[in-house]
Amino acid sequence: MEKKVKLQIDGKEVIAPEGMNLLDAGHLVDVFIPNLCYLKGMRGFGACRLCLVEVEGLKSPVIACNTKVREGMVVHTQTEKVRNIRRFILDLILSIHPLDCMTCTKAGICKLQEYAYEYELKNTSFIKKKMGYPIDQINPFIRRDPEYCILCGRCVRVCKEQGTNVLDFIGRGINAEIGTAYNKSLRESGCTFCGSCVDACPVNALPEADRWRKGREWEYTKIPSVCLFCGNGCDILISVKDGGIQKINTGEKPGSTKKYICAYGRFGYDYIEDRTRITTPLKRENDTLKETTWKEALSIIAAKLKEAGNETGFISTAGITNEDALALKRFAKNVVKTKNFDTTLSLYSDIHSMKDSQSALITNSDLIILIGLNPSQWSRVLPALDASIRKRVNRGGKLLVITSADIKIEEAATLTLKGDEITILKAIVKSLIDKGLKADIQLENAVKDAVVTEDIEKAAKLVEEAQNPVIFTSPSLFDSSANLTIIKGKVIAVGFESNSRGVALIGLTTEGKSYSDMVNKGMKVLYVIGEVPLNARPSHTDFLIVQTSHFTELAEQADIVLPSTTQYETEGTIIDYLGRLKKLNRAIDPIGTSKTHRDIFVAISKIMKSPLKKPSENEINKLIKVKPKLSFNPFIRRDGFEIAPREFIESINASVLRGRRLAWLKEAVAAIAV
Amino acid sequence: MEKNIIIKVCMGTGGVASGGEEVLAKFREMITESNLNAKISSNCHAQKVGCRGFCSKDVLVDVIVDDVKTTYKHIKPDMVERIFNEHVINGVPVNEWLAGPEYNNFHDKQTKVVLSHCGDIDPEDIDSYIAVGGYNAAKKAVLEMAPEEIVNIIKNSNLRGRGGAGFPTGLKWELGLRIKSDVKYVICNGDEGDPGAFMDRSVMEGDPHSVIEGMIICAKATQSNSGYIYVRAEYPLAVKRLQMAIEQCLMKNFLGNNIFGSDFSFDLKIFQGAGAFVCGEATALMRSIEGKRGMPSPKLWRSAERGLWDKPTVLNNVETFANVPKIILNGANWYRKLGTERSGGTKVFSLSGKVRNTGLVEVPLGISLREIIYDIGGGIEGGKNFKAVQTGGPSGGCIPAELLDTEVDYESLARAGSIMGSGGMVVLDENTCMVNTAKFFLEFTQAESCGKCTPCRIGTKRMLEILERITSGKGKDGDIELLEELGNHIRATSLCGLGMTAANPVLSTLKYFRDEYIAHIKEKRCPAAVCRDLITFTIIEELCKGCGSCKRVCPADAIRGTRKSPHRIDKELCIKCGSCFDACKFKAILKV
Ligand SMILES: Cc1cc2nc3c(=O)[nH]c(=O)nc-3n(C[C@H](O)[C@H](O)[C@H](O)COP(=O)(O)O)c2cc1C
Ligand code: SF4
Ligand code: SF4
Ligand code: SF4
Ligand code: SF4
Ligand code: SF4
Ligand code: SF4
Ligand code: FES
Ligand code: FES
Repeated sequence: MEKKVKLQIDGKEVIAPEGMNLLDAGHLVDVFIPNLCYLKGMRGFGACRLCLVEVEGLKSPVIACNTKVREGMVVHTQTEKVRNIRRFILDLILSIHPLDCMTCTKAGICKLQEYAYEYELKNTSFIKKKMGYPIDQINPFIRRDPEYCILCGRCVRVCKEQGTNVLDFIGRGINAEIGTAYNKSLRESGCTFCGSCVDACPVNALPEADRWRKGREWEYTKIPSVCLFCGNGCDILISVKDGGIQKINTGEKPGSTKKYICAYGRFGYDYIEDRTRITTPLKRENDTLKETTWKEALSIIAAKLKEAGNETGFISTAGITNEDALALKRFAKNVVKTKNFDTTLSLYSDIHSMKDSQSALITNSDLIILIGLNPSQWSRVLPALDASIRKRVNRGGKLLVITSADIKIEEAATLTLKGDEITILKAIVKSLIDKGLKADIQLENAVKDAVVTEDIEKAAKLVEEAQNPVIFTSPSLFDSSANLTIIKGKVIAVGFESNSRGVALIGLTTEGKSYSDMVNKGMKVLYVIGEVPLNARPSHTDFLIVQTSHFTELAEQADIVLPSTTQYETEGTIIDYLGRLKKLNRAIDPIGTSKTHRDIFVAISKIMKSPLKKPSENEINKLIKVKPKLSFNPFIRRDGFEIAPREFIESINASVLRGRRLAWLKEAVAAIAV
Repeated sequence: MEKNIIIKVCMGTGGVASGGEEVLAKFREMITESNLNAKISSNCHAQKVGCRGFCSKDVLVDVIVDDVKTTYKHIKPDMVERIFNEHVINGVPVNEWLAGPEYNNFHDKQTKVVLSHCGDIDPEDIDSYIAVGGYNAAKKAVLEMAPEEIVNIIKNSNLRGRGGAGFPTGLKWELGLRIKSDVKYVICNGDEGDPGAFMDRSVMEGDPHSVIEGMIICAKATQSNSGYIYVRAEYPLAVKRLQMAIEQCLMKNFLGNNIFGSDFSFDLKIFQGAGAFVCGEATALMRSIEGKRGMPSPKLWRSAERGLWDKPTVLNNVETFANVPKIILNGANWYRKLGTERSGGTKVFSLSGKVRNTGLVEVPLGISLREIIYDIGGGIEGGKNFKAVQTGGPSGGCIPAELLDTEVDYESLARAGSIMGSGGMVVLDENTCMVNTAKFFLEFTQAESCGKCTPCRIGTKRMLEILERITSGKGKDGDIELLEELGNHIRATSLCGLGMTAANPVLSTLKYFRDEYIAHIKEKRCPAAVCRDLITFTIIEELCKGCGSCKRVCPADAIRGTRKSPHRIDKELCIKCGSCFDACKFKAILKV
């Protein structure tokens, strides 16, 4: 139990945990101390000086963001003295600030504006100066306008903490500014355009590039949802106005840097209305795809499915909701009566690894062990995992990397062990057993020949000292990794799609032919759901149905194309890689006549006279509530899962990446790489 | 009869710059060539020594014949031959080149503890240091003393940090010892960013081993096994000599594993800083070693608890460390008695400005400003009147004549509106404009502000703008009050010492020389006739002999007149450069 201390802030009694700062302690009793540079969860930075408060018994004011609570402390946050100080500081800031709130994008959620109002400053009392900094706006994501910058350093700190390290303070005195190395544009500075800095900036120095005149903050309806573009399944907050998405932020309060989303999640949404978007069903007529009605399209499909029966195959992405997955499974099994239904999950994982992965929080873990995985913000393979691990390390967590390849995240590791992952895992287990930690006899036998080197010894020590280690492993190494948790810790196999774990738990896993079989050998009728890494119509396929939101190469070869909704136009749930149930909410109406996957299946089932019920919340909850059982399994590497993660993720998001902004990014990255 | 002759050539940065290397080489050449040692059966050798604080007289050379020391000043290589022939061989000093009583006076009135070996021993030779008792203190501390014992001696000595703030060193070490950790650091702050200051440089160059020895003792006292010396890269000679010293220590096992044969180990490295003023601030310095931007951070923990790489760290100034071996050897009492009740020992100052003898002076704490300026400094240059002394570097304050008897210690200087700082002391005479002086110092601090915190970054700039307008004749009513308000706010709200003290030069001159500000603002007049926009040059007809000297030097072609008749200055064209004023031999030009 953490110790609590009692203190008084503005006459209110506060019981706060030991070690908490005064700013956070104030929040506990609704005393909000002005601050511009504080970032919750990080050490007080002390730059803005706005949070100065008086503490009885101390001569001069102290900064609340960096002063720990003490028993019996009496704090005053609104004395004439500190109010004067704040007015003085704001006055100084305003003396080099554009102050054009009437047209400024940030108006309404700008902290500077809020405090100027509160402290009655219409303008500066000094002679106003313009610094004349150039604006960086050559990328379509972020407009960097240093003229508005108040040098709070929040952007610098978030960017550093997550390991991207693009921004820093440069220059001195009045000419100090935030810049990049050699003051190049963001594009040339290794920026990943994650936009973490956008969320962190309290003023208008780093808004989204296209935000201006896309509505004021208070006009937006905010809809919390989940990004389905990759295996991280990040929380997002969608701002909607006039039926359109205006921007997306992390699913956190503005100014919080707890959560991360990547450029795909933040900026990829403009693909919704890309010209490749399918708005009506299409059917093949004389070798070309022609628009048709839902009614006609569905009756053709119903007839084909009835005819093909168990010679029908369904292949789907694992980036669909639990509800869609369950509907699809029942549709295939009970309506079409085929056992051939599988997802792209089977390309990179077995079912047991997904089903038996545990739940854990990175923020609670003091040791993260990464085995055979290469998360990277730069290649956008599980970028949120990469960022979260780096943040954790920067807040005092440790990182042990076990890998046979050279990977970027090693730079953040406390210790990296290079070589065959299984050999290393065995040796660590052996070393732990040698140290006297309890294991079972099977495990002991399995590792008795392992060789413990000095490095292994070090790794074992890290595990021994950790309270709460969490292992992230590639699915092919799940069993071997899980053996370590017989001694200590939790294990999670990480899939590459947002609902990898969900589809496994729901059971959208084939009982007949596998995904690869269906693709390689073809099916009489092949029904493809969502975007899959498949560009050519499999041979020996008599009839191809593609149900997706955007035109793909495969769709062009289909006999029928059905328009489905995107992740912003549907609702449902997924299980993210950490094992948490997350809820998608519908932010905008479906474009054109597109429908959710499950609505389409229900509609076809009706035509096939075997009506399907939409899955209920209860059913889903029951299916996903399984307690993983872990016991000893031989140390093996499962094969057959050797996909290239980056190419895989890019291909399942091909149409997202064709969106205006992400297409620019792809080109920019390619241009810089050469 | 055998004679023992030692020739010591000053080779601090000042000495080297004035040609010390060549002078030393010449002496060595003469010794070999003349085959002196064989001829007059003498034992003669020439060596380099560190700075002795009087660089304006460099190259300084001591010729010591059987312990009788004669010092020469301004020696050039071509003068060596005569000194050698007349003095070294024939025993007759070359009188006209002697450094003279001024030099001796300057040194004799000082109390040298930190500087006692500077200018005396060969800084590149560990044996030279050992010969004067070097490393006895470290050996004793490591082999015979318990950490608590060392801490107690330092506490009792009343030694306070010489880097500026004057924090009691013993207390700092005590905290450092008390905190348990597998890794702890000792850091020596040799950043010395104050313009014009060179006390730390002189010690690092002239007696590097004393700093290392102090650090070894600190390491033992705080049970720390690794250390850094942070030196600015602009001090290449200091870096080189410290590096040599560390290597020599490693060879002798004074540094490294199991030093002096004990079970205590201490590893010491040099870190070269990029040389920003603010990097001298303790937290900025540690960030800089960590490879980050040198920017101060607020202290949630004291450095003793979480410093470099979040490990417990004890950081002291060069001079602070250099005092330590002497305290261990001579005892806490001896050191304490040198100073005042609250501050023990001596302090080195860098005396500069309009004083006759400029250079490094080491004096006991508690001495008065008057004694330093008049007795050691030899009074004001050129018979002018003393106006003020600025202490504490760019963020210090100006102390007026009325307060010349102020004792030099941390508290008294603070009471007078200034600070001890790291020991800068600039003497200002009647020709100094105090508003302009304040502006000069503020320009420095504003440019060196790291820019992190709002008051220092923007506030000092706003103050500077006000000073700029006052000195250019555009001052307004209320500017004085505005300066005071700004200054007090910046002092109260800044994050680090730089901002907290940045307004000192302005606030202290406002306090003691307010009338000068008023003259600038209300009468548009610069009483010291310094501020260009407020002065005019006129030729006094009655005094002008029509020599034309002024006309010849005027870069703006602003002077009219024919030979032998009074000249005139065209005020429209005059750019107020002052050349004519200096050129006129008849004092016919008036500057007001
Ligand atoms: C702007 C600034 C510059 C500083 N520069 C130096 C410096 O150059 N050398 C130094 O020893 N201390 C410097 N200090 C003081 C250090 O922060 C620190 O207090 C000192 O080194 C501690 O050593 P001491 O206790 O031995 O004095 C500076 C402080 C500030 C605020
Ligand atoms: S950043 Fe804030 S204070 Fe500045 S113009 Fe915009 S809304 Fe106004
Ligand atoms: S977008 Fe991301 S990577 Fe780029 S500067 Fe901002 S935080 Fe750093
Ligand atoms: S750009 Fe924004 S977040 Fe970054 S320092 Fe400036 S005001 Fe702060
Ligand atoms: S990391 Fe993955 S889930 Fe998160 S925002 Fe990026 S693409 Fe979406
Ligand atoms: S007071 Fe000045 S130097 Fe110190 S942290 Fe603030 S801006 Fe930087
Ligand atoms: S002050 Fe300079 S410019 Fe003016 S008259 Fe004299 S020499 Fe010429
Ligand atoms: S919030 Fe405390 S100094 Fe900025
Ligand atoms: S270097 Fe010679 S006296 Fe300073």
